[in-house]
Amino acid sequence: MTVLLHSVGFGLVAAAIIALGSVAFSLQFSVTTTPNFAHGDILTIGAYAALGAQTLTHNIAAEVIAAVVAGGLAASILNLALMEPFLKLRAPRISIFLVTVVFGLLAQNIILIVFGGSPATFQLPTSGLIHVGPFLWTNIDIETMISAVVILGSLHVLLRYTKFGKSLRAVSDNPELARVTGVPYRRVVRITWLLDGMMAGFAGFILAAYVGGLTPTLGFSYLVVIFAASVVGGLGRPYGTALGALVIGVAMQVASAYVAPDYSESVAFGLLIVALLIRPQGIFRAEIWNFAE
Amino acid sequence: MTYLIVTVVTFALIYAVAATALNVRWGWAGEFDFFVYALVAVGAYTYAVIVLPPAPRNDTGLTYILGLNQSPLVGAAVAVVVCAVMSLVIGSIALRSLRQVFFGITTFAAVLILSAVITQQTSLFNGFTGVFGAGQPFNSVLKLSPSAYNIFFLLLCGAIVGGVYFLLQRIFWSPYGLALRAIREDEVAAAAFGHDPYVARLKAYVLGGALAGLSGTLLVAYIGAFNPQAWSPIETVLLFAAIIIGGTGNMKGAVLGSLIVFGLILEGTQFLPPIPALPNAEAALRAIAVGLVMLAFLRWRPQGVLPEQHYRDVPRVRDDPLARLVRLVAHRRGTQ
Repeated sequence: MTVLLHSVGFGLVAAAIIALGSVAFSLQFSVTTTPNFAHGDILTIGAYAALGAQTLTHNIAAEVIAAVVAGGLAASILNLALMEPFLKLRAPRISIFLVTVVFGLLAQNIILIVFGGSPATFQLPTSGLIHVGPFLWTNIDIETMISAVVILGSLHVLLRYTKFGKSLRAVSDNPELARVTGVPYRRVVRITWLLDGMMAGFAGFILAAYVGGLTPTLGFSYLVVIFAASVVGGLGRPYGTALGALVIGVAMQVASAYVAPDYSESVAFGLLIVALLIRPQGIFRAEIWNFAE
Repeated sequence: MTYLIVTVVTFALIYAVAATALNVRWGWAGEFDFFVYALVAVGAYTYAVIVLPPAPRNDTGLTYILGLNQSPLVGAAVAVVVCAVMSLVIGSIALRSLRQVFFGITTFAAVLILSAVITQQTSLFNGFTGVFGAGQPFNSVLKLSPSAYNIFFLLLCGAIVGGVYFLLQRIFWSPYGLALRAIREDEVAAAAFGHDPYVARLKAYVLGGALAGLSGTLLVAYIGAFNPQAWSPIETVLLFAAIIIGGTGNMKGAVLGSLIVFGLILEGTQFLPPIPALPNAEAALRAIAVGLVMLAFLRWRPQGVLPEQHYRDVPRVRDDPLARLVRLVAHRRGTQ
């Protein structure tokens, strides 16, 4: 029972990280309807920016800002330099998806040239394990979960109570109708990419601190976990995705306690495949989504 | 130098077989498939454990299943069949409901699961270290010198690529090939003419799987060893690059694209002088070059160097000299 509770506790931490990464992914998908295969690499960019800031100053706030700025910049570059020209060409959606694949390839290899391929350690000051109720967490774990709740809460406020949030929901519901009724379509898409990149950069920072180190493929290897959370929760649905992250995070940690740690990611991938095959619209979604497009 | 050039061209031809496999799946059937490179790996592993002698029963730590000590031809046949059956199983599940990007994500996750299982279960294919010693088929009989054997293998690969091209070209213009492309363009219209989209797609998926297995067989027979590092997801992206550059749906294009991507950009640049400012960055720069060329093609020439041929653009049966003669004779008889 203690093992189960402890692994659920670790699962909550993993879920917080996955939620930060996958809600951003899902938000971007809801507006552009193309999954971003380079999303994991934006996490990596954020993590390396934080590492760069750490070598200059040991100020955690500076590291966070570096990660958020770098992530937002990377996502905006992807949107402005590649997505918008290809969308203007009316390229088929699969070509646009391939463009994000290539962007990921480029990002990974540029990082490889700049920082080298060997794993770098990335650690934040930690207090050791603390008992919180039945769970066992470090202070970083607790801060991770608090930051996830705060960020997702602010996103909720942004989507629900601001004019931008209303425009974003309008674009995601029906882009043509939104455009016709005077919603600044292009600006909404650009801000969404920026938000997506900023959240992804922060998620990369948290992920690197959680893993304790980083390699140029850190985010890429986390990409399918993010996909899994988004699809299980309902792709393009930020709220469902947060719940999907909870399911995936806890399932991964429980599996690593009871099956084998090496298979924890395979469990997430398995859930992804099952979700896509059985219920592609997501567990927490009722409407039909036409996936045959 | 000759040895190196022969090696580069051989690798490009081996990857060309894998590119034709992906071109059947993606170019013809329109399936955005990431599983193809996993099948190259499955083919390679299967061939190795069929050809190799049983794993030694001492504590060398070398463990793998089977070890049947069979001839290379048996190994290749079994590898191709295993890959075809695996494609049948995966395709029959995945092709039911998934399309395009979501098909890609599902197959991508399946590759990662397979990779995790093969890396962790060392009893299957010796885990992370991989299998080795499966190289140089037929040389126990031929007894060639290394450089002569290298040329022999190049000719073997060339013959196989030629055979595969001939076979695929026949399928391309066959009623099945036409139906497959019709389904890709308009599923409902093709179904209205009595073609079952699911069955046609599944056939293409299995054909592609068999070709991928053949490519894996050649790969492991040439390099002799295979381990999980040899099949990272990046390899599939390189195959996509080869097809997009060469020409999606065109088999000549797939071969040409493989020669450009694997021969020229990835292997051919070894002959360039190193860049002193960026030591150890060659591999990354090569990948970046492939990415940029692929982007340029997606932007300015998405159909590739050699676009897919259209039925209306090629000489039909009536323009065939023999058919014209037959028609002429029939016409004369009719007028008499």
